[in-house]
Amino acid sequence: MRCERCGKELTNRIIKINGITYCENCARIMGYDRFLRDPSDIMSNPFAPLDEIASSLMKMSELDFGNSTLTCPKCGMTLREFENDGRVGCIECYNTFNDNIVREMFKQQGNSEYAGRLPGQTAATDTETKAVPAPKTVKKKTAAAKSEAKAEEETKEQAKPESAPEKTEKSGLTIDKLKKADLGMLSNEELEQGIKIAAEAEEYRLASKLRDELKGRKEGENNG
Amino acid sequence: MAEWYEEKGRDNDVVLSTKACIVRNIKGYNFMPRLDDKECQSLMDTVDEAVDKNVFAGGPASSLDKDTAIRLIRLQVLGREGSQMVGAERKAFYYNDNASLSIAVGSGEHITVRAMAAGHDISVYKTAEKAVMDLESKLDIAYSDKYGFLTSNVRLAGTGLKILYTVALPAISKTEGGIAALTQRVGQYEWTIYPFAERGELADSNVYIIASVNTLGITEDELLKRGEMLIADVIKAERACREEIATNKKDQSEDIFGRSYGTLRYSALISRSEAIQALGWLRLYHDYYDGGDIKCSWSAINKLTMNVLWEPGVPLKKNSPGALATSQKIRADGIRKSLKAEE
Repeated sequence: MRCERCGKELTNRIIKINGITYCENCARIMGYDRFLRDPSDIMSNPFAPLDEIASSLMKMSELDFGNSTLTCPKCGMTLREFENDGRVGCIECYNTFNDNIVREMFKQQGNSEYAGRLPGQTAATDTETKAVPAPKTVKKKTAAAKSEAKAEEETKEQAKPESAPEKTEKSGLTIDKLKKADLGMLSNEELEQGIKIAAEAEEYRLASKLRDELKGRKEGENNG
Repeated sequence: MAEWYEEKGRDNDVVLSTKACIVRNIKGYNFMPRLDDKECQSLMDTVDEAVDKNVFAGGPASSLDKDTAIRLIRLQVLGREGSQMVGAERKAFYYNDNASLSIAVGSGEHITVRAMAAGHDISVYKTAEKAVMDLESKLDIAYSDKYGFLTSNVRLAGTGLKILYTVALPAISKTEGGIAALTQRVGQYEWTIYPFAERGELADSNVYIIASVNTLGITEDELLKRGEMLIADVIKAERACREEIATNKKDQSEDIFGRSYGTLRYSALISRSEAIQALGWLRLYHDYYDGGDIKCSWSAINKLTMNVLWEPGVPLKKNSPGALATSQKIRADGIRKSLKAEE
């Protein structure tokens, strides 16, 4: 999630005000300090929020709404129209509303710098579709399924699935060992490691068994 | 000639289609929201001259006859239920033989090039890029060094490129917390996922669109690579969930699979919602069914799914109570015929 004002990735505290998400720094800049306070502060001065509302009302007459009437000299689009639907009217709008457009870009993408191809040049890409290998246990017993599988093989002849090398962790766990193991004899750490190994090797049934065992133990601990 | 979505695509048990959309605008014209009718006509004439007529048919949307419009809705050129035909006099559509490559004029931006392929097939990007480069060589395209290709919708400024995978996820949808976990995963790649339809008859279709978000700060190559890694994850996750359901709840799954086939094969009236739910179960259990009675290929499942999802809307008149039943009857007839051909 990103701050909708500066576009930075939100790492610790998320402050949502009037449906807009801010980082701590921006919330401060926007004058939303009261949302950053610890609830215990209010206990020490229960009238503080009321004081702030009163001072905000006092300041309202000084607020500057000047920019909201900004208009593109070429197409006549106003800043308010742009803010309402996120669309501009012409190329010149990019100069007229530059700051607001950059903010909108940051809000959506966390970036406003172009990195793509130039007009008339092809993008340097070697990305190709690689078919994803099906799970080993899928049954293809029906005649129709068999003939389909054969046709599929023909279309996928270039995409040969890489067989995942069997990983051995420091604990000595392997897929084979995990399959044969009495799950009750494994420690919680071993189960956690086993889930990781099984998931990496796409042994999802094994991973789910290990997960269920671990979950059962944790629930038992909580209930007991 | 087979329509593009009837072709056999890779990983078509999960991925229904891959699409690449690239938008461009022409210098010297206001963007669409500020373009008056006279300028719009001039824009349409300018693009018409640049479109390669050896590849593309079509023209102004207002000149499309009803049958062509219905065909183009089915082929996903005109948007769901013909949504892009609104304001037809300010739009034009060009499309190749099987409509896998199309150019829309006046739909949001001046030009939208869309390449589509059945299943998982990222080569659609190159197809779209080739068509766009042809137009870039003939037209004066709005471009700035700072923001890249300029667009009316500032969310598209930059590469102007969107990659969309349409995926059928019946098993993840039936797994507790499955969609939430997937949404989080998609977000990690800075892509987005949303249901094919938020409401209406297809709200529970279990079909989702996984789409790219970034057009700035990323090259086309990086975007494609990220998309390929993401879709591979999605395919693996959906297949794993299918395996989990099909093996741990074998009897129930086989029962619903059979019932779903029966509903599709023998119904005389069927709603879109019922049809898409039944097709979801055929998809989920297809590779695990080891009886010999039900014969239904992936091609048939995908074709029927696409037909139901992209069915042209039937306008229901207030005083014609039979219209709903008629549309359900036409749909059921079509499905029955397709499945009978598989036997």
